[in-house]
Amino acid sequence: MPTFADMTRCDGCGECVDICPSDIMHIDPVYRRSYNVEPNMCWECYSCVKYCPQHAIDVRGYADFAPLGHKVRVLREPEKGAVSWKIKFRDGREKNFVSPIRTTPWGSIKSPVEYDPPRPEDFAKQELAHEPDALNIRGGLPTLRPDQLKRGPL
Amino acid sequence: MDANPFAAVAEFWSPLAMKVYIVLMVVAVVVGTLFDVSHKGSGIYFTQRREKSRSAARRQLAGGEAFSLALATIAEAAVSGEFDKTPRRISHLLTMYGFLLNMITTILMVFVYPTVAATPTIVSMLWVLGAVMVLAGGLWFFFFLRANVAHDGDPPWHLGRADLFVGSLLASMAFALVWHFVQSGSPGTLAAYIAFGLYMFFTTLLFVTVPWSKFAHMFFKPTVAYQRRIEEATGSSDLPQPSTQNFIVRS
Amino acid sequence: MARSRKTIRVDADILVVGGGMAGCGATYESRYWGRDLKIVCVEKANIERSGAVAQGLYAINCYMGMQWGENQPEDHVRYARNDLMGLVREDLGYDIARHVDSTVHKFEEWGLPFMRDPKTGRYQREGKWQIMIHGESYKPIVAEAARKAATEVYNRIMVTHLLMDATNPNRVAGAVGFNVRTGDFYVFRARAVIVAAGGASHIFKPRAVGEGMGRTWYAPWSSASAYALPIQVGAKMTQMENRIVLTRFKDGYGPVGAYFLHLKTYTQNGLGEEYEKRWYDDTKALVGDYIDRHPVPTCLRNHAILKELAAGRGPIRMVTKEAFQDPHKETVGWENFLGMTIGQAVVWASQNIDPKYVNPELTTSEPYVMGSHATCSGAWASGPEDYAPAEYQWGYNRMMTVDGLFGAGDTIGGTAHKFSSGSFTEGRIAAKAAVRYVMDLGNAQPRVGEQECRDLEQVIYQPLENYRVGSNEIVAGTVSPSYLLPISGLQRLEKIMDEYVGGISTNYMTNGVLLGRGLELLAMLKEDCAHLGAKDLHQLQRAWELQHRLLASESVTRHTLFREETRWPGYYYRGDHMKLDDENWHCFTLSRYDRNTGKWDMEKAPVYHIID
Repeated sequence: MPTFADMTRCDGCGECVDICPSDIMHIDPVYRRSYNVEPNMCWECYSCVKYCPQHAIDVRGYADFAPLGHKVRVLREPEKGAVSWKIKFRDGREKNFVSPIRTTPWGSIKSPVEYDPPRPEDFAKQELAHEPDALNIRGGLPTLRPDQLKRGPL
Repeated sequence: MDANPFAAVAEFWSPLAMKVYIVLMVVAVVVGTLFDVSHKGSGIYFTQRREKSRSAARRQLAGGEAFSLALATIAEAAVSGEFDKTPRRISHLLTMYGFLLNMITTILMVFVYPTVAATPTIVSMLWVLGAVMVLAGGLWFFFFLRANVAHDGDPPWHLGRADLFVGSLLASMAFALVWHFVQSGSPGTLAAYIAFGLYMFFTTLLFVTVPWSKFAHMFFKPTVAYQRRIEEATGSSDLPQPSTQNFIVRS
Repeated sequence: MARSRKTIRVDADILVVGGGMAGCGATYESRYWGRDLKIVCVEKANIERSGAVAQGLYAINCYMGMQWGENQPEDHVRYARNDLMGLVREDLGYDIARHVDSTVHKFEEWGLPFMRDPKTGRYQREGKWQIMIHGESYKPIVAEAARKAATEVYNRIMVTHLLMDATNPNRVAGAVGFNVRTGDFYVFRARAVIVAAGGASHIFKPRAVGEGMGRTWYAPWSSASAYALPIQVGAKMTQMENRIVLTRFKDGYGPVGAYFLHLKTYTQNGLGEEYEKRWYDDTKALVGDYIDRHPVPTCLRNHAILKELAAGRGPIRMVTKEAFQDPHKETVGWENFLGMTIGQAVVWASQNIDPKYVNPELTTSEPYVMGSHATCSGAWASGPEDYAPAEYQWGYNRMMTVDGLFGAGDTIGGTAHKFSSGSFTEGRIAAKAAVRYVMDLGNAQPRVGEQECRDLEQVIYQPLENYRVGSNEIVAGTVSPSYLLPISGLQRLEKIMDEYVGGISTNYMTNGVLLGRGLELLAMLKEDCAHLGAKDLHQLQRAWELQHRLLASESVTRHTLFREETRWPGYYYRGDHMKLDDENWHCFTLSRYDRNTGKWDMEKAPVYHIID
C-alpha cells in the first residue's frame, strides 16, 4: 500500500492520524498502531511520513504501476528549516537531496492584530491588508476604469 | 495492609503450588514469545532484516562500539526515552517500573519470605506501591492517552483486542489490591476468595496470552531499537543523513 | 459501544469553510479588517497539511513582479483569456493579479524560501508568471498565519450543507456538518460564509484504478464541496463544462512546468519526431485564429498530443537527456517532484527511470473540474466595485448570487491561472468584502431554522443507520442488495462520467445523446444515495464526499450539454458540434439549481474584455 507503518517502530502515538489530509491513517484494532486503511485514496503526500516521530512510516509506490524494490525516504527537520531526501532506485542507484523549508522560526508570523488597525476610510477602498506598501510599487494599487472593459459579441 | 499478602494463601494453597504457578507463568511467557517468533515467522523476518542491514553497511563497527550502543539502548529504554510525547512517556514509566516492582516483590514474598513475620515491611509496601503505580500510569493511559481514544475517536471505555495486555495487567493489579485489602480486613471470607480468584484469573490471562497480545513487544522493541542504532552507526540506515545546514536565518 | 452524539452549536461572524490556500487567506484577512469579529475556520482534515498544497509546491505560478516592472495585471488577464480560449472573468482576474504581489511578498516575510536569480537578485523566474520556491512547508507556513488570525480553527469537521436564513430565502445563515472523529453534529451560525473548499477530483474515472487511483493530479480529497455547497442553496454557477485535462509525466502525474520553462526541455512522439506543428491545420479548422495566439493555449497543446496518439505515433516523451547533463538542472528536475509531487520520484525510482539516460513518458490525465489552474469552473461572483461592469456587480466583491455567501479559490468561476498565490489572494479579497458585509448588517443575526437542522441531522447520519440495519441481511462482505458503499458509488459515478461525459475511455469525446443518457444514469445514482451505507465515520465522510461529487457532476454534465460547441479541444469535444462557435457561444454558461423542484435553469452571460 502507498504508505505503511513499520510494526517495530510505530508506538501508536497518533500523529499520523492527526495529520493525514485524506483521513486514511487510522489505528489498527489488534496492535493499536497505525496503518493505511484506504491506499487507493493515498496521494503519497508524505505528510504522515514526515510527521512520524519514530520515522516508522514509509511509502511503497502504487502496486498497479510501481515495481518493488525502490525507496524514497525523507527526514524533515523543522528546527533546522530543512528537508532531506534519499532516493533508492530498484537497481540500487541512489540520489540524495537537501532543501530549505523555512527561513524564519516556527511560530514567528505576526498576527494581523499586531498591525495598526485599518482606518474607517480604508474599508471602502480596494487596498487589502498591508497594501499598498506590501506591493512595493509606486503609484498605488493598479485599477481600471469601467469604460476599459468592453462587452463581448453576445 | 503492610503485611505479606501471600502468606495468607498458604492456608488454602500450599506454598509449593504458588512457586510452581510463578514458574509456570515465566514459562508461559518464554513459550509464548518463542511461539510468536517461530510460528509467526517473526524470527526469520528479523534475521533477514539483520542480514539486509549488514550487507548495506558502509563501515564496520569499532571494538567496543556495539557494546556501547547496546548500553545506550538499555539506557534509553530505562527512561522510556523512545516515547516522543511526555504524557505517554511518564505513563509508561509508571506502568513499567510499577510492574517490575510488583513482580520482583511478588517473587521475593513467595520464594524468600513465606511468613508475615519474616517479611520486611518495605517489601510488602513496595508490592502495594508497584500495583498503585501500574494503576496510575495504566488507567491514565487507558482512558486518556491510547491513540485510538486520543486521536481516532473511540470512546474512553472502548475495549478491543489491542487492549489484551494493558487490560489484563490493569485488572490483575486492581484485583491484587482489592484482594489484599479484603484479605487484611476480613481474612478467610468468601469475598477474599473471590477477589483472589479474580486476581489469579487476570494474572494468568496476562501471561498466557503472550502470542495474542503485545507482551512480546517488550523484547522485540528494544532489540529493534538496538538494531536501528547499529544501522545508523554503520551507514546502512535508509534514512537520509541529518542536515548539516540550518536554513532558519531570520528571526 | 458508541458514545452518544452531541450537538455542538458555534456562532461566528464569518465562517470560512475549508482551510486550504484560499481558506487560510480568507481567515488571515478577515481578522485584519474585523479585529473584534468572531472568525471561525472549519476544515474536514487538518489545516496544517490540508488541501491541494499538502505536499508542497516548487513554484508560485501567479506573480506579476510589478516591483521590477516584469508584468502588469492586464498582461496576466490577457494571458488567462488567451489560454481559456477567450472566456474568463477579466474583472475578477485583474483584481487577483493586482493584489497577488503583496500576498507573495508576505509569504517571503513569513518564511517561505524563495529562489533568487543570481544575476539580478530578483525572484528566480521559472517562466513569465512563475517563480521558483522551496515550498515543502508552504502549507504549514500559511496555516500558521491562519491560526494566528482565527478565533477558532475546527479541524476534522466535514461541512455537508449550508444553512439558509429562515426569514430570508436567499440569504445564507451558516452550515452544518459532523466531527469525523467523535461523530458529533455541528451547527455553525454565521453572518457571512466564505466557501473555500476543494474542487472536483475523482468525478471522472482515473487512468489507474487499483491503488494507483490515489495518484490523481489534483488531490483526492478535493471532493467538489466548493461546488456542491453553493449549488445546493441555489447559487449560480459558471463554466462547469470547462473541465481540465493535464499533460503530465506518466502514472505519477508529476509536474512539467519547471521542465519546460526552466530546464528548457521539449516533447517528441514515440518515433523521436517533433509533432505539434503537423496538427496546425487540423486545429485551425476547429478553432480558427485561436491557434495563432502565443503561447499556444493549453487545451490545444493537448489536442495535438491526442491526434498524434490516435495516429499511432505514441508515446509522447519529454526530451530530458540533454538538460539533465547539467547537474544544477538535474537537481531542479528531481527537487521539483520532491517539493510538490513526491509520487513521481517514487515511480521513476521504481522503474529505474533516470532522465539523464532515458526520456520519460508523458500522458494526458483524466478530466478534473476546478477553478484555479488552466481552467475556471465555479460559482458566479460579483466583481470589484471600482471597475467591474454593472452586469457583474450586484453586491460585495466575490459574493455569489446568494446574500452573505462568498467564495474564494477553486470555488469561484471565471478566474483561471490564479494557482496557490492567487487563491490565497482571492481569499483575502472575499474576506475584506465579507467583513464589510457583516459590518453593514449591524446587529442583525441570521435565523437558523431548528427543524431544518434536525432534518439535516437525520439526513447526514442516515448512511450509518443504513449500514447498521442493512448488514443484518447478509452474512459478511461488501455485497448488499439494500445499501451502497461509498466506494461503489464513487466507482459508478466515475464510470458514468467517463463513458458519457467525455472521459479518457472516449478520448474526451461526448455528444448530446451521450450526455442525455449520462444524466439518466446520474439521476439513478442520486436516488441510490438515499441508500448509502457507511460502516464508520470515515466512510460517512466518504459518503458525503460522494454526494458532493455527484451534485457537481450533474452540474458539469448539464453545462456540457448546454454549451453547443467545442470551445476547448484537448479538454473535451462535442462530437455533434465540433467547431468553436464564437458567434453563438462567446459567453459564459450559467446554471441555477432549485433543490425544491429539482430543476436546473441554464442561461448565457456576456463576457467583458479589457480593451487591448
